[in-house]
Amino acid sequence: MMNMNGGIMMDKNTQTEIFFGPNHPGVPGNYGIIYDFEGDTVTEAKPNAGHLHRGFEKLMEERIWIKNTALVPRICVEEPDINEMVYAMGYEAIGELEVPERAHYIRSIILELARLQGHIFSIGGNAAGIGQYTVMHWGTLTRDYILDIFEEITGGRVYHIYIRPGGVRQDISDKTFEKILDLMDDLEENRLPDLDKTLYENPNAQKRWKGTAVITAEEAMEMGATGPVLRGAGKAYDLRKMMPYAAYDKVDFEIPTRESGDAWARLKVVREEMTQSIKIIRQLINDIPDGPVKLDLGNALKYKIPEGDAYVKIESKRGEYGYYMVSDGSLKPYRVHVRGASNPLGLYGVTEYLPGTRVADVPVWAKSLGICPPEFDR
Amino acid sequence: MRNEKEVIELIEKNLSPLETEEKRAQNISVKFGPEDTIQALSFLKSKGYKQLSTISCVDWIDDNEFELVYHLYSYDDFINISVKTRIDREKAKFVTLKEVWPVAEFYERDIHDFFGVEFEGNDDLEELILENWNDIPPMRKDFDTRKFVNDEYEWRDYDGQKHTD
Repeated sequence: MMNMNGGIMMDKNTQTEIFFGPNHPGVPGNYGIIYDFEGDTVTEAKPNAGHLHRGFEKLMEERIWIKNTALVPRICVEEPDINEMVYAMGYEAIGELEVPERAHYIRSIILELARLQGHIFSIGGNAAGIGQYTVMHWGTLTRDYILDIFEEITGGRVYHIYIRPGGVRQDISDKTFEKILDLMDDLEENRLPDLDKTLYENPNAQKRWKGTAVITAEEAMEMGATGPVLRGAGKAYDLRKMMPYAAYDKVDFEIPTRESGDAWARLKVVREEMTQSIKIIRQLINDIPDGPVKLDLGNALKYKIPEGDAYVKIESKRGEYGYYMVSDGSLKPYRVHVRGASNPLGLYGVTEYLPGTRVADVPVWAKSLGICPPEFDR
Repeated sequence: MRNEKEVIELIEKNLSPLETEEKRAQNISVKFGPEDTIQALSFLKSKGYKQLSTISCVDWIDDNEFELVYHLYSYDDFINISVKTRIDREKAKFVTLKEVWPVAEFYERDIHDFFGVEFEGNDDLEELILENWNDIPPMRKDFDTRKFVNDEYEWRDYDGQKHTD
């Protein structure tokens, strides 16, 4: 029913269905949520996924092993290096390959740089979700300095195609390591304190995030959501420690946790993880051994591994990222199944935990839980 | 906290697996007959394997079977178990895991989209990722992407250049 001014007149008991999205509704990527609300509280919600389905899993079955290294980073825009790493680990697990020590270190450095840029990016996105655009712009700038480093190492800014089966594409020079260390100092001394002042000490941010989008540790475990969601609810769980890969068993770092399980707790965990990442990168660069950075696997167009399957998983910035890979001994993978970090939250979580949230907090809910549609649409 | 051997022992003592295998550190794979799978999964859940990471489906077209793989994880043992079962490809039907893990509902919908497997007890198997799909499920091995594209779409010529396949 329309009133004179063209607005919708609503009885206070009426439920209204809203199509939220699919045009980047406060989440990275095209994804929709269809929800009913009463007053300004969501009463029922269901995910409207599939807008970003590109058929990656099918494409991978039709390409040789090495070609897929250029395909996997595209699966999730936020986590390109993570995808490269899981894919390489799956290949190595089925083929029972042991990667050189220096490659392990370089992989960890790359993954931590990726974690830093991803966290800065997503904190910016979270801030934009509550109207704090300064943080987003500053975050984008800070991220660009990390992308400069990536460009120097790999030639690419966002998609690197650098970690590949058997190691990494090429070595990193000491000069680049110096640059990384300088950037870490800059982050620690200037850029992250700026972030603290503009965002974490901002009363607006605290008001919006405290008590919003609460997920308890029990709920998170039951649904399979890990990462900051679980750590923000008080469980000190990190695959880098629980199932160590690359060089993470050689470095010393802590798992930051918070008790309240709300958006604020998760974002504080993310902020503390950035400090830990800087600590990890410094240790890795300090201790990195000399030696080769990749195995000689022969002609790249004829990569082959025996029959077998493996479920491999690593800690992305938003939790467990897993690949189930099956090889039938041929030149192409028989099946690759991608399990993105936000699969449980983006699909099941929306129906179960979004109701009860206020309408204005829906972007806060989606952002702070790290929903990334391209990874479950695939 | 149990190690890999103890977990395998626990499984062999309480359940009737067809095959158990320690794949590598912190990774175990277990095969069950389709009739034992759901019970085995709820048993493992009661023993601390609380996390269902995902459900994978593999089309073994030469054996005329689908393989369903349930990836479980324990926050106490830090071990990953891949529970596998095979079902007939012609009568692609299995039982839902929704009662044990509510989150399975969406993983089953995903498999229904891409492989056409029905899950008994899961009433909401409408399309999740695909939309208005009326061909054979696309992740099946006999679905030919190239043929589909040629049948459904017309090739366009750009700048007078003819398309060649």
